[in-house]
Amino acid sequence: MGIEAVTARPQSDLGPEAAARLSGWLRDYQMLPGVPDELFDVMRRPRADWLELLAGFAEYPEAESRSRFSVATRHIRDTGVTYRVYGEENERIWPVNPLPLILGHREWAAIAAGVEQRATLIEAILQDIYGEAKLVESGALPAAALTGSVDFVRAMRGVEPPGGRHMPLYACDLGRGPDGRWWVLDDRTQAPSGAGYALENRLVLSRAYPALYNRMNVQRLAPFFDGMRKGLSASAQRSDPRICLLTPGPFSETYFGQAQLARYLGLLLVEGDDLLARDGKVYLRTIAGLKRADVILRRVDADYLDPLELNGASQLGVPGILEAIREGGVAMVNMPGTGVMESKALLGFMPKLCRIMLGETLKLPNVATWWCGQPAEQKYVEDNLSRLVVGPAFNASAGQCSRSRLIADLSVEDRESVSAWLRDRPGDHVGQEVVRLSTMPVLRGDRLEAAPFVLRVYAAWTPDGFRIMPGGFCRTSERPDARAVSMGEGARTADVWVLDDKPVEGATLLASHDDVKIRRVAGTLPSRAADNLFWLGRYLERAEATLRLARSLCTSLMVTETAIHGSGETLEGLQTLLVGWGALDEDALGSGSLEATVSTLRDEDADGSVIRLVRAARRTAASMRERLSADFWTLLLGLETELAATWPMPRSEAEALGQVERALQVLAALSGLAQENINRDAGWRFLDMGRRIERGINACRMARTFAHEAATTDDLDLLLDLVDSQITYRARYLVGLSMIPVRDTAVLDGFNTRSLAFQVLTLKDHLAKLPTLLDDGVPEEPHRVLLPLSTEIETSEAASLTIERIAHFEATLLHLSGVIADRYFLQGAKAVPTIKLSGLG
Amino acid sequence: MIYTIRHRTTYDYGKPVGFARCMLRLTPVSSATQTLIESAVCISPTPLRLLVGQGPFGETTRTIILDRPHDQLVIEARSRVDVHAPERLPSAAPAWEAVRVAAFGTRQLGADGPAAYLYPTRRTPCVGAITDYARASFLAGRPIIEAACDLMVRIHRDFTYDPDTTTVSTPAIEAFEARSGVCQDFAHIMIAGLRGLGLPAAYVSGYLRTNPPPGRPRLEGADATHAWIALWCGESGWIGLDPTNAVPALNDHVVLATGRDYSDVAPIDGIILAPGKQAIKVEVDVVPEAD
Repeated sequence: MGIEAVTARPQSDLGPEAAARLSGWLRDYQMLPGVPDELFDVMRRPRADWLELLAGFAEYPEAESRSRFSVATRHIRDTGVTYRVYGEENERIWPVNPLPLILGHREWAAIAAGVEQRATLIEAILQDIYGEAKLVESGALPAAALTGSVDFVRAMRGVEPPGGRHMPLYACDLGRGPDGRWWVLDDRTQAPSGAGYALENRLVLSRAYPALYNRMNVQRLAPFFDGMRKGLSASAQRSDPRICLLTPGPFSETYFGQAQLARYLGLLLVEGDDLLARDGKVYLRTIAGLKRADVILRRVDADYLDPLELNGASQLGVPGILEAIREGGVAMVNMPGTGVMESKALLGFMPKLCRIMLGETLKLPNVATWWCGQPAEQKYVEDNLSRLVVGPAFNASAGQCSRSRLIADLSVEDRESVSAWLRDRPGDHVGQEVVRLSTMPVLRGDRLEAAPFVLRVYAAWTPDGFRIMPGGFCRTSERPDARAVSMGEGARTADVWVLDDKPVEGATLLASHDDVKIRRVAGTLPSRAADNLFWLGRYLERAEATLRLARSLCTSLMVTETAIHGSGETLEGLQTLLVGWGALDEDALGSGSLEATVSTLRDEDADGSVIRLVRAARRTAASMRERLSADFWTLLLGLETELAATWPMPRSEAEALGQVERALQVLAALSGLAQENINRDAGWRFLDMGRRIERGINACRMARTFAHEAATTDDLDLLLDLVDSQITYRARYLVGLSMIPVRDTAVLDGFNTRSLAFQVLTLKDHLAKLPTLLDDGVPEEPHRVLLPLSTEIETSEAASLTIERIAHFEATLLHLSGVIADRYFLQGAKAVPTIKLSGLG
Repeated sequence: MIYTIRHRTTYDYGKPVGFARCMLRLTPVSSATQTLIESAVCISPTPLRLLVGQGPFGETTRTIILDRPHDQLVIEARSRVDVHAPERLPSAAPAWEAVRVAAFGTRQLGADGPAAYLYPTRRTPCVGAITDYARASFLAGRPIIEAACDLMVRIHRDFTYDPDTTTVSTPAIEAFEARSGVCQDFAHIMIAGLRGLGLPAAYVSGYLRTNPPPGRPRLEGADATHAWIALWCGESGWIGLDPTNAVPALNDHVVLATGRDYSDVAPIDGIILAPGKQAIKVEVDVVPEAD
């Protein structure tokens, strides 16, 4: 009925096919009873903005639409946009809806004003409760409504926030209620998450539908993030401060979002171990020594921040960091303790607190909430149990009441246990009115369906006051149940388009000319990143060497007549090397070469197998995703998937060889990317040093195995294969295979990029270009270890080179690896707590 | 009564420790019932940095950093404290249900008020079994001090003092189920029971005089640091109860620090780098000065 009402819009230009799709979508769209919908008004008339959006979508033929979206979402999979359900080893692919949530500019202005007011109010409350606590003294806010939260950090009372504010970053979850108004469902005051995913969703949709995106005047996100970055900088005492994003690490649920945000804002992504608190300041451990960390954007919950003063079991924090905050030596965003404002216990007080603190009424109402720590409220909740949601008053406590429940949904026993708990400890609970969420259209297959949704809106303090992100992070429920209580796992996300009434200017994160200092090197490399890069290099090189061995195993079998490396000892040497590397189980020795190859490639139980090495490389890369290009990650992830799942088990040597060669090609591509697409800064040097040390060690090991005193020509030939030097050798020596020139090629020839000598010379160059701790001209330990080695190699002659010397070279490189770790990486041992008094009475 | 207290802690490390950072809570507090006369803490080796501050529950803290390799760390605290508590607990007290309402409605956010001690913590979670155990003492309308003393006496009667069943990190529920433990466990159990009923109870660490007054038995925990509980009783204020010995904590008990559970008051919290094995020895002497 409503479709005719809108034919005046540009949709009249739609082709017949698109018009048919559009009208099919609208016709079949089922609204949920009793809740408003974004697409249709109460008269079932579609809203103009949504109609324009849907018409734009309908213009893409179904197949094209699907392919556009899948290309854009393939980007998600390829670049590894993931989230993790806590405790799971594997990340999940981020689910995003093809349709964004549309908000008109007038509606948005009201939301933005409401969010800004709420952020201002909460900052004022935080200043009070961590200061003089007049609100408590006057009776406006019961003390026990604060102390139930683990995020009420008593140790922060009386501490001036070093950056000037308690809560520079804020987010709240909004839902549209049955009356059509936006309601605040939850406050996110500790470490609002999801902004990184909002960025990613925007990237996907703007790539999938660029024309539509531009035509609809969607407000850009970049200026918000620019403001946020300026706000972070301004909270530091120094100009040009070092800003770190403190993450709980790659196992946290939203690690990707954190890495994304760090990369986008140009922050250093650090874990607790990377930081050291001393002298009332916080320092970052880098390869150039300790460097001051001025501002910390934290994603670690307050309770885990400082094992000395808060949760002693925490491995995520920095001992002494609270003291540094108290002494004003580091600005933390948000301050420890801001999380207390996430307690549901406080929601019921907000209207009154807004009048007291700001002299205003709340622009965005919050869900009606009764904290049962007060006798009258407790009685109200008990009297109305059947129509209320009863839930925990505090976001995290050791209490029994763990999640919100509608009492009517409970069994008789559960209801009795809730009532009993409510009698014993009323203050642990709140009663809340049931919120029924409005719905928005989502595409499922080619059907348009109504899904309940929650919108998270972000505010950031900037030098010009609070700025609200024009957009946000929208989650839609997979279930048609419109009660906010049931929003949770299994949700999908959607981009949020805030439409401007005039064309928007393109904006990116480009800074204005005057505030950029030219830099050619990307700051100081944190020790952890150096460590990870070094090991990534080693894993990749080890995988490549293992594949070369596997390739030789395969080819040895395929040449039937005069088996090239067919002689028994040579084959045995190969297998011994593989066993020595842990690529092959000792029991597999002497078994068929096909089995040995397959096991070398895919044996998940052998810690040196190719699949395990690739997994190790991927894991290492995953913990520094912000430093690697999307291409690099895509290739590495692809190789892991192929090895682990996609490729069939090879049934013949030829099939096995095919897989080995394919894997070698991917590794070659990765190595090419590393050479060509990574800046020649310290990070690249560590990646390359890892590769060089590994390659040098392998060259020694292979030379010892196949160029020993009794080596056959088969052995020598294989060695040249393994060190990829057949062509080099044949170009230099016309005499055929001979021990001394083969040894020279593999070990001493500084022009051969696969020889030990080349690796050592390259390492020398890297070390010379890395920063030193002291400017006293005294060489550091890694130089002292490497220098005699390089001198000996440069001056040795092949004729007098013994296997013992080669073994010595190998040992020196292993030692060098350890010395590099000691000098540049985090201290090997983690900090541990001292034992506690056992002599308690 | 004035007490002289010596509290010496010795850490022996199997391998030299290159960096240590410790938080010490070794200075007894002054309060309505005791006055700190003097206090000193000697640390060997000498720390690189020592910072004296005040912890969130009013306790004096010392943060120390050691950055030179050492294989032994000795921390010795000496204090003189004048304890001047009343001779007995108040005789009148409000009904316990009224105290619960008053505690949740308090306008005091500070560490002296009841609000901080109402909620479960990691070491004192509210679990049904412990709450129900405590409930048997809290009959409807019973004056709070009478009910709490009854609970204290029951814990003393029902539980075995045994230093071998629990460690410093044993959760309250385990010790409760084993019906056995040391002062820390009994304090945690009593606190969990009281909080389970919505009452504000605090964990107190401190000392007992080493030798009892003539004619009185030597108490458990006298040669080590001791722990008991404090209960907020509305207008009757805070009272100390020692479930390990089934006595009120009055003039034989010297308060070191008060918090929500052991974690808030641990005398020494530390982080060390590159450790091997650790051994710890604690010696405590509490001697009353002759009048």
